[in-house]
Amino acid sequence: MGSSPSIFRFISTIFPWLFFFSILFLMGSLFWGLIVAPTDYKQGDAYRIIFIHVPSAILGQSGYIFMAVFGFICLVWRAKVAGLIVRSIAPAGASFTLLALVSGSIWGKPTWGTWWVWDARLTSTLILFFLYIAIISLFSVIESKQKADRAGSILALVGVVIIPIIKKSVDWWQTLHQSSTFSLSSSPSMTADMYLPLLSCVLAFYLIFLVIVLSRMKLEIVQRERSTNWVKDFYS
Amino acid sequence: MNNRSNLTQWMLLILKKDLLLSYRRAATYMTPLIFFLIVVTLFPLALGPDKSLLSTLSPAIIWVTALLASLLAVESIFHEDYRDGTLDYFFISGEPIFILIFIKVLGHWLVTGVPLLIAALLSSLILFMSKDIIISLFISLFLGSFSLSLLGALGGALSLGRSAILSAIIVLPLSVPILLLGSATVFSAINYSDYSVYLFYMGAILSLAIPGLSLATVEAIKLNYE
Repeated sequence: MGSSPSIFRFISTIFPWLFFFSILFLMGSLFWGLIVAPTDYKQGDAYRIIFIHVPSAILGQSGYIFMAVFGFICLVWRAKVAGLIVRSIAPAGASFTLLALVSGSIWGKPTWGTWWVWDARLTSTLILFFLYIAIISLFSVIESKQKADRAGSILALVGVVIIPIIKKSVDWWQTLHQSSTFSLSSSPSMTADMYLPLLSCVLAFYLIFLVIVLSRMKLEIVQRERSTNWVKDFYS
Repeated sequence: MNNRSNLTQWMLLILKKDLLLSYRRAATYMTPLIFFLIVVTLFPLALGPDKSLLSTLSPAIIWVTALLASLLAVESIFHEDYRDGTLDYFFISGEPIFILIFIKVLGHWLVTGVPLLIAALLSSLILFMSKDIIISLFISLFLGSFSLSLLGALGGALSLGRSAILSAIIVLPLSVPILLLGSATVFSAINYSDYSVYLFYMGAILSLAIPGLSLATVEAIKLNYE
């Protein structure tokens, strides 16, 4: 793992390029999905929220996995940068999970006729969101930054073990009650001119996620090392 | 050989100290018990005395209350030992610390979890729970409350010296599978279907939690020694 100044300089160099490329890519993908892609014969234009909903749900989950991987690195190899990454991912992942929940219930209103169903997927996504909140509140309560990084890493790691169990147990719980027959996974297989823009949106969301995490990392490094000479030199 | 007996001595010592301390001070095992009974009493007051409604909701009420009571009870498990330096001795003992921590949680569960089981039986009477399902409630609470104690110990270690509500926020999302499996056990017992599957899964979670959460708790305690 490199030192903070070299990582900071690396991020600062690639950041403007990455930022503009990601924004352009996102705009293009959303244009492709929201305007160019054909209308669904069953749901009409309401289905188009899929181009927001699915990418943000994917990012919410894979963000958590990234966080746990870097948490593992932080705990085992005591790498400070890994702890920094964990702390930067947590709010980004929480926002994407919230976006998935909100866009999902906006989508649910016209198609299912209700904002919320205690369906297995919805419930486990909500719990994922609560887990993110737990980690963020742990970060904000512990004053010592490095201690907080490691505490959050422990929680992220325990959580990643429990997420599959939560998913499974919610499935069983749901089958027991048999309250809902809706499932997001059983949607009709899509045609290529809907599938390709969706894939492009997923990629674009990954890029935006990276941009958010990198910018938070930059901020976090500057905050931690604001009294060092290299930060003063950089901004003078 | 000598080493092994040393570890056993440590384990017995910790268990004996914790059990003796809580025996001398009734508040440690009475507080969660009274909390449990008061919260269970609140439900009929809020829902009304309707017998069939209370009977239907009773597994959910008892499980949610047991979850809160056991998490709140275990939250402060390390406070005193951290303050008076007992935990320091764990670290300089040279023994595997996660075993000592596990014994500490076990001792705590014996004085808080087991009274909760008795309180749950008592409250199944006042909530008009049918007698056939009490066995399933008892076994699921037995397995579940120990997992919850281990989880709560992690929450207590991560929020050592901070507010209890933080520990609750940390631990509650993680306790979801135990709650779901526990209430699923009781609800399938109500429907006269086979509930052993859920108990097997709860046992599996417990056997994962014993080494996994003990190790995580040790890591969390270590943060306070830097």
